[in-house]
Amino acid sequence: MLIKIILYGVLALSPLLFTGIINKVKAIWAGRRGAPVLQPYFDFFKLLRKGEVISKTTSFVFQITPSINISAVLFAFLIVPIPCIGSLINFNGDFVLFAYILGLSRFMTVIAALDTGSSFEGMGASREVTFASIVEPSFFIIIGTLSLLTNQLSFNAIFTMLNTSVGYTMLVKLLLLTSLFIMLLTEGSRVPVDDPNTHLELTMIHEVMILDYSGPDLAFILYSSALKMLLISLIIGNLFVPVYLSLLLGLLYLSLILFIVFYAVGIVESIIARSRISHIPQFIFLITALSIIAFAVVAFFLRGGI
Amino acid sequence: MNFFFMGTLLFSIGGFASIFLKEKYKALVFFFFAAAAQYFLLPGVFNVLLSGIRLEARLQFTGPIGISYIRIDPLAAIFILIISIGALLAAVYSISYMKMYSGKRANLSSYYFFLGLMISSMLLVVTAQNAILFLIVWELMSISSFFLVSFENNKEDVRKAGIYYLIAMQIGAAFLITAFSWITALSGSLDFSSFKHVLSSSNTISIILILLFFIGFGTKAGFIPMHTWLPKAHPAAPTGVSALMSGVMIKTGIYGILRILLLSDTPDLKLSYFVFIISLVTGVYGVSNAIAQHDLKKLLAYHSIENIGIIGMGIGTGMIGLAYNQPLIALFGFIGAILHVFNHFLFKTLLFFGAGIVYQKTGTRNIERLGGLIKTLPITSSLFLLGSIAICGLPLFNGFISEFAIYIGIAKCFVIDNLAINIAAVTGISGIALIGIMAVLCFTKVFGICFLGSPRTEYKEKFSEKSFSFVFPMILLSVLIIVIGLLPGLVLPLLSSVMKQFIKVDFTNELKSILYLYRSISLSLLLFVCIVLLFLLLKYILLKNKSIVKFKTWDCGYQAESSRIQYTGSSFAQPFLLLIAELVHQKINVVKDPVLFPKEASLESHSQDFSERYLIQPSIKVLDKFLNYFSWIQSGQMQQYIIYGLLFLFFLLIWIWGTR
Repeated sequence: MLIKIILYGVLALSPLLFTGIINKVKAIWAGRRGAPVLQPYFDFFKLLRKGEVISKTTSFVFQITPSINISAVLFAFLIVPIPCIGSLINFNGDFVLFAYILGLSRFMTVIAALDTGSSFEGMGASREVTFASIVEPSFFIIIGTLSLLTNQLSFNAIFTMLNTSVGYTMLVKLLLLTSLFIMLLTEGSRVPVDDPNTHLELTMIHEVMILDYSGPDLAFILYSSALKMLLISLIIGNLFVPVYLSLLLGLLYLSLILFIVFYAVGIVESIIARSRISHIPQFIFLITALSIIAFAVVAFFLRGGI
Repeated sequence: MNFFFMGTLLFSIGGFASIFLKEKYKALVFFFFAAAAQYFLLPGVFNVLLSGIRLEARLQFTGPIGISYIRIDPLAAIFILIISIGALLAAVYSISYMKMYSGKRANLSSYYFFLGLMISSMLLVVTAQNAILFLIVWELMSISSFFLVSFENNKEDVRKAGIYYLIAMQIGAAFLITAFSWITALSGSLDFSSFKHVLSSSNTISIILILLFFIGFGTKAGFIPMHTWLPKAHPAAPTGVSALMSGVMIKTGIYGILRILLLSDTPDLKLSYFVFIISLVTGVYGVSNAIAQHDLKKLLAYHSIENIGIIGMGIGTGMIGLAYNQPLIALFGFIGAILHVFNHFLFKTLLFFGAGIVYQKTGTRNIERLGGLIKTLPITSSLFLLGSIAICGLPLFNGFISEFAIYIGIAKCFVIDNLAINIAAVTGISGIALIGIMAVLCFTKVFGICFLGSPRTEYKEKFSEKSFSFVFPMILLSVLIIVIGLLPGLVLPLLSSVMKQFIKVDFTNELKSILYLYRSISLSLLLFVCIVLLFLLLKYILLKNKSIVKFKTWDCGYQAESSRIQYTGSSFAQPFLLLIAELVHQKINVVKDPVLFPKEASLESHSQDFSERYLIQPSIKVLDKFLNYFSWIQSGQMQQYIIYGLLFLFFLLIWIWGTR
């Protein structure tokens, strides 16, 4: 138990490192030297030390949202198991709580954006919920596929059973990997869905919703969006790390997978341009399509027919 | 049983008594009677729920009704609880709300009279065990609520909505009358318990009968495609009544479906899938139409359709569980459904009450003209936010608890080795997730546009939200919402006797595992609350002694502050509505000058209900054409009517001669 808590603590402190990795990869691919990998941490602590500028239009909703956000993501993080050791919170149907607590944070972020009365933030908010309406049902198809495959209803049990399953699982895993990766890009607001570095408010999604935040609130928000990316990549890690490995080996395996995932995000960001807003739904629908295919594959092999 | 009759009568007496009083005492007297009724109803109801006993009274009528039983079983008790509390809250709320009508043409006496009548008839609907008595009180409920819907009958759209509502209810009742007369012909008795052997023999007739009942009750509940009256009637009625109708009355439709389900044996598998799928479609349809609405109360009405869909999915899951003999799935399904009936009552009433206060403050229900209300109506806004989060099924509040049960019920279907049910499960689970996220979209729109930002128009009226009769019902509802949301273990034991009616096998262990599951959820949610508090504290500590500057919203260097450049509700919903353009048809009118320097331009958008457009309107047209052939009967000429009178007398004479 103690080891578990320590591991969760360490992982919970690490998300900005992965943001740093992405930035470094992008810099290298662009032929620059880039900022140090730990730069996001320096920024984070700098923001924590600052005061705030708050819009006169806003209400208490705007003020409590960042804290709710970071708590929600942190809480959701406790539900996702760490390979080879399991999760802190688990019960049947914990994935519903996982999705819904993140949904709560989405709800708050969106209304906080509308709280400022800025039309730019309204645009971002509108896009955020629109794209989420495709992502969220797909997430449940993914979970449905996994629980059909393993006969289990909690993250912990699903991932424990997953690795002992039979041959066609690899195909399913690859399909789910792809859809989870697209989900990572969408939820983490990365290229081609969104560009965290853009400077044109009209085209942004997540970044434009938080335009009015500053100081500790902004720090919380940046941290929670980094943690959210780590969360989804942790699910990817769980798909692939075999449970029978010893803890140390499992963790090494996991770190390798996380590194690869974030390296891949960096590469995608370096070589692909950002899509037009009107084309993004088609891209996100890939998650739905791939997860339905994965479900069909499982149904075909497990139940003997579609 | 006397307590029940006493309580039921008190509502009617209260309504009747208020006719004879001065205008300012009407509300108080009605409230007094409603409160007294609680004293009689609530203890008995809790007694039934906790002990699982059935109370019944035998009534002997002369004429066609004959012997009739009035019975309170746990299922009825749940609904009595909702009706009784809902009625009290509506009575309290009306004290302040109806003040705006005092001294005007509208007649407050009719309001309280029909309100009392409607509540009493609802109480009888859920207890009557005799087909004719049931139909009588059912019609009484529809008709009294018709008078309440058309309360502001000096407005044309209200009159239209009232008539539309009445016709829709009669069409629903026609199905019920057909079903009841057929089933009584088959069983030979009017008593509900005699229907059992007709419905449990699984042949085509019983399935057709159940379908007839489903359509009849579904019209009341608002299943598509029979839902079209909801978005018309709810906005037309005064808010207290809208809340009562949406939170309570449409649930009598759900009650009817559940009662028929109880009378039939193991549900037919195809029927279970039918209920499941139609509910899923209802849910998705309701919420996607809600997104396109500009009228606050109409939007809430569409959300009732959505929530009826969710309740129906729970019932469908329960039926599938029963059909496959999986008590755990059935348990989750029915617990989810019944809990959601109660939960929807709580948050929908809260939201309607909030919407009513907004209407009184601003004089408009149009979302696009509101904004920034959180500064002028802080209590209403905060509670509306709570209700919004609850209705989206997000955690910490009660909506999550019931939706969670339905989720798990559906997810358990993955474990069964049967492809059909697996596919139903994956459709259902992604469907309910879709409904959830669409509700998030809709309520972020409502809350964000109406209550946040800056006001889009000037609100002139001097109006205070801080009156007891506004604040008390909303606070009470919010407390219940939070308690169920955080401590579901307190309410679940109340449902176990209801579950015993639905699930015949012993399920003590299953129930224990569910209670255990909900305990882990409670604990996790409390942990989450602690984490939130921790971060708020952290923020407070970090910002101590730091400068906090108040400045205007970042406008990207664009120096023209105007509340009109804020994002509107329509533009907020537009990207999503584009995705589902096939489902929600929007009529968009653009007026602009095609010249080099255009002056004035305007854009209007109206959403059209799919079923209204492709089902109701065409069938009205056909009916219109057909009935036109008989229009000569009503020519408007006096001579013709005199001939009718003479013919009638003539046939009367023949009849008397024949019977002699």
